[in-house]
Amino acid sequence: MGTENPNPPSYPVRPAATPFAAMQSTPPFLSSGPVAGSESSSFRPVPPASSQFRAPPFSSGPVVGSEVPAFRPPPSGRSNELVGPPPSSSSSSSHGPPAAGFQRFPTPSLPSVGHAVPQRTGQPVLSPTTRPAAGTVASPPISLLSQPQPPSIPMGSPPPSMKTGQVNGNIPPPAHQLLSSSRPNVQPSSPPVRPSYVTTPGISQATIPGYVNAQPNTVAQAQPMQPASFTLQQRGYAPGAPPTPFLAQQRSVNPPSLYSGNQMQHHVVAPPTATSPGLAEDFSSLSLGSVPGSFNAGIDNAALPRPLDGDVEPKSLAEMYPMNCSSRSLRLTTSGIPSSMSLASRWHLPLGAIVCPLAEPPAGEEVPIVNFVTTGIIRCKRCRTYVNPFVSFTDNGRKWKCNICSILNDVPGDYFAHVDASGRRVDLDQRPELTQGTIEFIAPAEYMVRPPMPPLYFFLIDVSISAVKSGMIEVMAQTIKSCLDSLPGYPRTQIGFITYDSTIHFYNMKSSLMQPQMMVVSDLDDVFIPLPDDLLVNLSESRNVVDAFLDSLPSMFQDNTNVESALGSALKAAFTVMRQLGGKLLIFQNTLPSLGVGRLRLRGDDIRVYGTDKEPASRAPEDPFYKQMAADLTKYQIAVNIYAFSDKYTDIASLGTLAKYTGGQVYYYPSFQASIHKDKLRHELTRDLTRETAWEAVMRIRCSKGVRFTNYHGNFMLRSTDLLALPAVDCDKAYAAQLSLEETLLTMQTVYFQVALLYTSSSGERRIRVHTAAAPVVADLGEMYRLADTGAIISLLSRLAIEKSLSHKLEDTRNAVQLRIVKTLREYRNLYAVQHRLSGKMIYPESLKFLPLYGLALCKSLPLRGGYADAQIDERCAAGYTMMALPVKKLLKLLYPNLVRVDYSVVNLSPQTDESNIIRKRLPLTADCLDTRGLYIFDDGFRFIIWFGRSISPDVVRNLVGEDFTGDYSKVSLSPRDNEMSRKLMKILDKFRESDPSYYQLCHLVRQADQPREGFFLLGNLVDDQNGGANSYADWILQLHRQIQQNT
Amino acid sequence: MGDVFAWLLFFFILIALLVMIVFQLMCLADLEFDYINPYDSASRINNVVLPEFITQGVLCFLFLVTGHWVMSLLCVPYLYYNVRLYLRRQHLIDVTEIFNLLNWEKKQRLFKLGYIILLLFMCLFWMIFNALEEDEHSF
Repeated sequence: MGTENPNPPSYPVRPAATPFAAMQSTPPFLSSGPVAGSESSSFRPVPPASSQFRAPPFSSGPVVGSEVPAFRPPPSGRSNELVGPPPSSSSSSSHGPPAAGFQRFPTPSLPSVGHAVPQRTGQPVLSPTTRPAAGTVASPPISLLSQPQPPSIPMGSPPPSMKTGQVNGNIPPPAHQLLSSSRPNVQPSSPPVRPSYVTTPGISQATIPGYVNAQPNTVAQAQPMQPASFTLQQRGYAPGAPPTPFLAQQRSVNPPSLYSGNQMQHHVVAPPTATSPGLAEDFSSLSLGSVPGSFNAGIDNAALPRPLDGDVEPKSLAEMYPMNCSSRSLRLTTSGIPSSMSLASRWHLPLGAIVCPLAEPPAGEEVPIVNFVTTGIIRCKRCRTYVNPFVSFTDNGRKWKCNICSILNDVPGDYFAHVDASGRRVDLDQRPELTQGTIEFIAPAEYMVRPPMPPLYFFLIDVSISAVKSGMIEVMAQTIKSCLDSLPGYPRTQIGFITYDSTIHFYNMKSSLMQPQMMVVSDLDDVFIPLPDDLLVNLSESRNVVDAFLDSLPSMFQDNTNVESALGSALKAAFTVMRQLGGKLLIFQNTLPSLGVGRLRLRGDDIRVYGTDKEPASRAPEDPFYKQMAADLTKYQIAVNIYAFSDKYTDIASLGTLAKYTGGQVYYYPSFQASIHKDKLRHELTRDLTRETAWEAVMRIRCSKGVRFTNYHGNFMLRSTDLLALPAVDCDKAYAAQLSLEETLLTMQTVYFQVALLYTSSSGERRIRVHTAAAPVVADLGEMYRLADTGAIISLLSRLAIEKSLSHKLEDTRNAVQLRIVKTLREYRNLYAVQHRLSGKMIYPESLKFLPLYGLALCKSLPLRGGYADAQIDERCAAGYTMMALPVKKLLKLLYPNLVRVDYSVVNLSPQTDESNIIRKRLPLTADCLDTRGLYIFDDGFRFIIWFGRSISPDVVRNLVGEDFTGDYSKVSLSPRDNEMSRKLMKILDKFRESDPSYYQLCHLVRQADQPREGFFLLGNLVDDQNGGANSYADWILQLHRQIQQNT
Repeated sequence: MGDVFAWLLFFFILIALLVMIVFQLMCLADLEFDYINPYDSASRINNVVLPEFITQGVLCFLFLVTGHWVMSLLCVPYLYYNVRLYLRRQHLIDVTEIFNLLNWEKKQRLFKLGYIILLLFMCLFWMIFNALEEDEHSF
């Protein structure tokens, strides 16, 4: 648990089998051997070793070499840590640390043993001879070695002392002597040894897990490879081992030592671990039962893994393929693509990718733009893949080989460049498209169906009585007015407005007018559009009229008492106006649409329906009108964003389809009151209007032959089986796709993915954003687990669950989520539990340590939680639509929000305190963490909940909230006050907001024991606690554990 | 003699049904291979869905009134299925979800196709049987 990084180098190495498997039977061992060898080979120039392995993903010599330092350093640093005191571990359980040390190594180690032997043998020689004190950390190899074994204390000591350590450890002394004697023999060959050290850590580990009965096999293998003298020694060694007390484990320990010979130090280290069998098992199981050891005694709550560092992305893929696009744009649920269908079927989690095509690059980085207008964009003639860093040039640079379909394409004359001896183009440094995973091409005319359209914003505003009362119109009009200058696409931007209640009001905004002209149409069945040409105007030309309109809009309707809302007809009218150009349609809806086409009725508030087969219908869209309308809108490149404000039922389920199928977004402000929600609406509307937007977009994901994207999830409409139509895209939208294998067996070693988004930029240029990524094909389930990405998995899983909740009961949906997690962990357990007595322990891969928690959080999330009473139906649906479009990081934050304590830094008046420190101190989401004297902020990315402890100093509260701090907190808002504490708190809040600008986090103040407000806002959202009939984290783990053990 | 004509009528009705279903299948296949966009595909299919349902209902009714109650009974499951779809408002293809439902829609229509072909053969058999019987009587 403690270790967060599955060690990267290890995995490419062994496609074949996990260490354990290897130990069990000879064949696996063999297979693993070569692989491991590959690792070692990479480091060592020695030809024989390398020849055996199948080419690893990053087989190229130079690359590997360069990588080595990159990979190793972190571990080595770690090892240092480990060496001194018993392993320091992060939040994990007591078991955690040791496991951590070992986790990564087991696999590589074994394999390396087989091949590396000859050279390794050299090592020991070195240490005694060349190095005075082998044990000293200073020598790089040693430090590496030390890594695997946390209790490395013996390591520090010089060789002789180590021997003594061995003795203690039950390893027969003769063996050592033998080994030592072997050293001299090997010595001559020793020079290359150093690099080989790197692999050694693996070996040491191997020893530990190996206790099964790998010994004979391994020995046999090793023998042929080794020099004669060495083999002799080994033999001698092996027999010696059995007599030792701990049969199984020791054996394992011994044999590896035999092969490695050189690794005397290791042995020394190993014994201590061997002495505590329990630990050894844990290592071997890779993932330590977090819960586990104390299964019956109850769970140590604090020891459960929690993502308090937020989303930690796996780095291994990026390190293996440095030219991959960033994980911001593309995240695979597992970077190891299964090599066969049978393997894929054992992977019970969704297999797929989360794509965020326009993810914002961090400050200072920019997506390189390439103009290919002269040559035409270089693409594969067969599969239409864009040229990317993974293509290879052959035939002296005259042809290039497509990485996705392997066909040879001609290089156009203008693009020709010579290729040097290593196969690199000489002009590589001037060709960003051949070095960068993310690139933007400027598309020539053949990529346009019509000339690029100007950005268009159309506002459809409900002005019925509730809109007037809530003050929405005023806030909205002010916000739009303030954004007019920053709308993208100046000076081509087009704008238009329609308002409606029981009639539809059009506004003529021709630039020659001084004031907008209002035209009212009351025939809703067949809407007549007056002056169709002047309803949509160029913003820069008609700026004065638009300003005048927005100024007068609030007062125009302030006495409106109309309660009806004819959304359907108004929508049709807007569609007619916009269909020539496409663009963005913003709908401000305040009540249930009640007139004309698309009128909706009250439903879903019947408590008796819950738990019956009719339940899901209330969450599914009812009137096909909106779906049909959405399809038509997409066809004409219109994206719809819905802003809903009502305090009563508005049927978001039906209205939301407009956003869902047009690539839009749903914003929901239940019971909107201008005085409270003003800032939120202002911020979010501003962001919606001013963020960089891609128009008229289509997206396609290509991938290597043999795999195929089958299902897509998110806000878009499919235009053909694999083409996503996205009338408007921006950085806040992500799309999920599920991957399936088409062939029973994949023969290639790498699968490539290419995401291409063809769009019109606000400036009126047609562009193609291309992301390319490579991922290794693996033949081993353990490898898939090791390369899994919890964030992507949860993102895909939540989309599947939300979709399922539209046609199934909530209960069934939650059970399905749980079942998937159980199946996953059970499969994992089956991989390892057989060799290791793990009863009473729950084991899971390091990469998925947060999966159970996020699964629980998903079941407690707004769209899926509880039953009828636990959430308003509209809130459920709105949250569902939002979650369907969220990028991974934001989704994870929503599922497992930040909880931080701030009273110290607020009260501490020294101006120097650093706010960023606070952000790092996240707390587990449990009421036990709440101190009655504390002040806490709960931040899920969409709102802040500020919790005041019961015993907090009244002084603080007065300073922050004002004089009425004893009153009703639902009416108190947190505004900046003229004192240091308030300024401090505001600064902290601003800091939080800056880090997540896509939504505005409105503050909700909650006082301890102020029910039901506290329960509603905070307690119900504390994922780790038991709430509303849902499990607490500990119970959930126990429940999972119980189910996993059934049928195993 | 009337019986033969009745069977002939049934036969042509069945052929019409067959054509409508094959047409829908073709639209779906075209969509799958990207020869047609989902909007056109959905509207073409939806145009023939109701005629198909009605034709089938009429056929079932005709079987009943002409006294071929066994055949009528055979038609009932199909009719029931159609009515159920209609009542649940699932009979029309939803253009927004068409790709997710493609497999299901195809499977459903393939079953219908098999069903119709079965009926067609029975109808053919009875028609020929009747014709031969008429022949015998005319001697």
